[in-house]
Amino acid sequence: MGKRFTLYTTIFLLIGIGLAPVLYMFIRSLFVDGGFSLRNYETLFQSDREWRLLFNSLSLAGATTLITVLLGVPLGTLFAKTDLPLKRFFTILFVIPLLVPSYILAIAWFYCLGRSGIVAMIFNADVGILTSNLLFGFAGTLFVMVSALLPVVIILTITYLRMVNPNLEEAAMLYGPWTTVLRKITIPLITPGIALAGLIVFILTLGEFGVPSFLRFDVYPVESFTQFSAFYNFNTATAAAIPLGLITLVVLIIERFFLRKKTFIFRTMGSEKKMLVVPLGKSKPFFMVAVSILVFILVIIPLCILIHKSVSISAYTEAFIRSIGSIMRSLVYASIGATCLVVFGFFLGYILARKAIRLFYAVDSIAIFLFALPGAVIGIGLSGLWNTPGTNFIYASMCIIIFGYIAQYTALGERIMAATFSHVPHSMEEAAQNVGAGWFRRLSGILIPLAKRGMVATWFIGFIFCLRDIGITMMVYPPAHDTLPVRIFTLMANSPEDVISAMCVIMIMITLLPLGGLGLVKRYIK
Amino acid sequence: MVAKMIVKIDNVSKSYNKHSVIKAISLDIEKGERVVILGPSGCGKTTLLRIVAGFIHPNQGKVIIDGNVVADNGKCIIEPENRQVGMVFQDLALWPHMSNYKNLEFGLKAKKIPKMETRKRIDEIFEKVQMTQFKNVYPGELSGGQQQRIALARALVMQPKILLMDEPLSSLDADLSLTLRKEILRLQEELAITLIYVTHDREEAFSLASRIVVMESGKIQKTGTVSEITAYLSGL
Ligand SMILES: Nc1ncnc2c1ncn2[C@@H]1O[C@H](COP(=O)(O)OP(=O)(O)OP(=O)(O)O)[C@@H](O)[C@H]1O
Ligand SMILES: [Mg+2]
Repeated sequence: MGKRFTLYTTIFLLIGIGLAPVLYMFIRSLFVDGGFSLRNYETLFQSDREWRLLFNSLSLAGATTLITVLLGVPLGTLFAKTDLPLKRFFTILFVIPLLVPSYILAIAWFYCLGRSGIVAMIFNADVGILTSNLLFGFAGTLFVMVSALLPVVIILTITYLRMVNPNLEEAAMLYGPWTTVLRKITIPLITPGIALAGLIVFILTLGEFGVPSFLRFDVYPVESFTQFSAFYNFNTATAAAIPLGLITLVVLIIERFFLRKKTFIFRTMGSEKKMLVVPLGKSKPFFMVAVSILVFILVIIPLCILIHKSVSISAYTEAFIRSIGSIMRSLVYASIGATCLVVFGFFLGYILARKAIRLFYAVDSIAIFLFALPGAVIGIGLSGLWNTPGTNFIYASMCIIIFGYIAQYTALGERIMAATFSHVPHSMEEAAQNVGAGWFRRLSGILIPLAKRGMVATWFIGFIFCLRDIGITMMVYPPAHDTLPVRIFTLMANSPEDVISAMCVIMIMITLLPLGGLGLVKRYIK
Repeated sequence: MVAKMIVKIDNVSKSYNKHSVIKAISLDIEKGERVVILGPSGCGKTTLLRIVAGFIHPNQGKVIIDGNVVADNGKCIIEPENRQVGMVFQDLALWPHMSNYKNLEFGLKAKKIPKMETRKRIDEIFEKVQMTQFKNVYPGELSGGQQQRIALARALVMQPKILLMDEPLSSLDADLSLTLRKEILRLQEELAITLIYVTHDREEAFSLASRIVVMESGKIQKTGTVSEITAYLSGL
């Protein structure tokens, strides 16, 4: 039975690559000096410092979620449902920060607001100290996280708004103006989408390593990393990672039990009825100005700072010299990672969309759990599991980085492919089976060609996520295997600002290039 | 055995989470018969047909096709791809990314039929369903009735022992449905194939069947010839 074999192999690989390290890490932390002990956890929440970490992590994640939702839902609504001019252009601009490692934004703001930043130069040193104090700490971290994750809410709001059945809105329009329809009908209809967006933002913020680490705001992933890499203390690193894992688990269980049950009346995909567009009328200029200001602050300014800082040939030459190896590795690893994600996503998405095995829901939960788990946690687990003499070929090679990508990002591929397969009627495959085609022939002749678009989308999205990853890579990269985001991060402290800026710009460019590719593919594949 | 039995459904049951959909059905079908399964929506017609095709495994009972046990007490013994049962799907399920020719060729390739014979068989069948001029066209460019013919051709080109059809004409208008019914009758006779045809339309059943099986909520109410069933149904 080729089919069962393929599907179960994928599941076992996901468990082996993703879940096993996390479980191993948890179990190992329960044993001290060969015996079962909770000693690693005894220190947990004993000190004020522990409580501060917890408080910091939760308040940062909570505040980021709140603000991104408050900003993102109106923005998404403006972009999806109104006649706001340039809305596609605005959407693309807002999305850019999500595509690059978030800490790059922090670097840009540091060059602007730091003690010797642009602001300090324009005004005076006192102002620089003031802005620097604001940047380093809760407020600055929050601000950068909001600009980085706002696109999540915008994109999901747009996506869910597109699914709302226009008939419901039309019916409501008989009774009130558009503002009322939006507030009373449309937005309530997409609450599951908004809740999902909030959940993703919460979890991503909780697991974020780069930004708080750079802006010296103490949260769990930073603590884990420090314990792990500075002191190489596996057990305390684990103990610091466990609360993160637990919070993630709790949030996910809440999601699985409360959000999934709700069903809303969405239009069936492909129905020809157009989405209703809200005319902004006289308030159009107001919204234009508001959106422009926001996009300027959140996106344009940091980008301009980096470009401005780096604008010299010598900076780029130096940046290339110092990081060309990392650039190549980034591209290669991200390509391999993306390809693996397509394969995993294909089969797991198939399982989910077709309910092909009894335990499909459990498999989906594993993938989602791993996606939600902070990269630091997965990274520590991977290092712990594979750091044995017999498995050095994994531990000391790029394999461990690829494993990390697969563990963390498989859920992305799984969900995209599941959505793709839900648009391929099951009868397409059954008809092939009926004329005598076995599993592999059905794969190559029917399923892959019909799911091609989803696979291409998975590849590009997977590529971007692998490319921007720092949480996992930072934890697991073997010597001389660093990727560009890691390289920038490690060089940052003691390299000239123009070179770092140039590297950041290069990072942004190599992320945006494949995105252009995706746009082209979308246009030309059917 | 005097007449040749081709399909034997023996005490077959299927349930989903204790909701039983097929309740201990037994049915013998002889070679060359045109059996129409008639019954209201939701009575389990599709389920029964898919059990024969192998896409659904019954919880209980045996299915025997041409002397081979294909499913036995919840176990699938012969996979759908090896049952040599042709099926025309309710939604036709023509592969949109392949030309009509490729749609027919796909199964023959899977069965490793030699190139020469493949071409000959496909040409013949295109001729039979009068679609020769649409060989290199994609299914998406055809009308509903033409797509129907291609779907039929795709099943027939495999030379199956049995042809299963699940309400294949339900989406077509009355005129076209009538024409295609005649075509199906003609092809069935020419190829001397066994036909199992599912519909909820009495008229369709009467015009196609050599034997009618009346189903109702997962059970067989009555089987008989067209005249027997006409009498039975008018007596209800
Ligand atoms: N996968 C499934 N899970 C649960 N119940 C199912 C499933 N498939 C079918 N059923 C149920 O089995 C019963 C029979 O379904 P089936 O599709 O065989 O009916 P049918 O006679 O073909 O109806 P129609 O004429 O509408 O096509 C229905 O009540 C249906 O709800
Ligand atoms: Mg049916």
